[in-house]
Amino acid sequence: MIKKIPLMILLYVINLFAHPHTFIEIYPTIEVKNNQTNKINFKWVLDEMTSSMLIMEFDQNSNNKIDEDENIYILDNYFAPLKDYNFYTNIRLNDKIQFFPKTTNFKATIEENRICYYFDIQEKYNIKDVKFDFGDEDFFVAMVLKKEFIEIIGAQAKIIDLDNDFYFGYRLELK
Amino acid sequence: MEIYNQLLKQLVLLQYEINKFISSSIRQLDDTNYLTTSLIIVSIAFLYGVVHAAGPGHGKALVSFYFINNKTKDYKNAFKIGYMISFIHAISALLVTFGIYFIVNKMFRKNFNEISVIAMDISAVMIITIGLYLLYKAIKDKNDKEQEFTNSENKSKLALAFSIGVIPCPGVMTIVLFCIMLGHFTLGIMAAIFMSIGMGLTISLAGILTVLFRKKATNMIETKGFYFEIFGALMIVCLGLFLFKY
Repeated sequence: MIKKIPLMILLYVINLFAHPHTFIEIYPTIEVKNNQTNKINFKWVLDEMTSSMLIMEFDQNSNNKIDEDENIYILDNYFAPLKDYNFYTNIRLNDKIQFFPKTTNFKATIEENRICYYFDIQEKYNIKDVKFDFGDEDFFVAMVLKKEFIEIIGAQAKIIDLDNDFYFGYRLELK
Repeated sequence: MEIYNQLLKQLVLLQYEINKFISSSIRQLDDTNYLTTSLIIVSIAFLYGVVHAAGPGHGKALVSFYFINNKTKDYKNAFKIGYMISFIHAISALLVTFGIYFIVNKMFRKNFNEISVIAMDISAVMIITIGLYLLYKAIKDKNDKEQEFTNSENKSKLALAFSIGVIPCPGVMTIVLFCIMLGHFTLGIMAAIFMSIGMGLTISLAGILTVLFRKKATNMIETKGFYFEIFGALMIVCLGLFLFKY
């Protein structure tokens, strides 16, 4: 414990100016067949205040929806760069963090004044080996996962609070 | 760490709920419920400030290190510094938000990021300077055996508050901008002020707890006081250096 104190101080100092200002609700939809994930889709719903700022920039023609060219702009300038942050999702196979697989079918929408991102992962995982850890290590974004947000077809889901020491996260396990 | 993690979780979830409540309340504002709903929103904004500043950030560690270094045993000073920070925090957030909204009026996030980086660099330089000054003061005091407050110490207090407060709080800016976008200018300013008052309370608490610690540990501090002061000053310099890198 005593050895941990300097590390705790150091990490606390590094994170001194980090605290969540954006809240993202995660809605995972996972289809499981023969103990393997068959389809994985994530829906992110951003909080209304952050959304209102982003809509100012995203919805260039102010028609209150995201058109195709606007979708490409969001994908290139806002979503794709999140790869550097592993899309706030660490996928663990046998407890080892994997490179985040290629995301497909990205779609941004405006729903009830909130920005939503939809995207798929094509990779297939054995449900006994895979764990999804959600959270932003910089703690600028808070990921929110609730039981009622999850839709699992062909298996059951379990949410675990993650003790990441200096930021808060959730783990999704399948069984 | 389990307790800290659970505290972090509750702080995050509480902020998430308050954020949702404030945004939906502002959107539902109309002529029939304006006054009552506005009063509820500013009250909740105050609570949001208290909770928001309770998580990592907002200079609580800096304030604590400052009071470790400082010989004051007066709670008023801790209270004063907390509110000086939150006042400058609010002014800075309001100026940047209104400036960007009225002058630039688009690409908010990109411009804000640039301003935020500049503000952080300014803040880092100021924090390092204060740390070095306190270090110099501690060594000088040890040699001179001086124990009294001077005008220069009051100046360092103001400089410390300015160095932390100059970084506009994105939380305050988001509420202000959200209100402006929906045409509620006055409410935006009021929400920012009340949120800052809430943050000031939490930041003050960090200083008050440190002063309390100094009071309780008087005997140890009397003998090891010089080392505490050096530690406090060095930590402030380190915080500035980390912020510069951040």
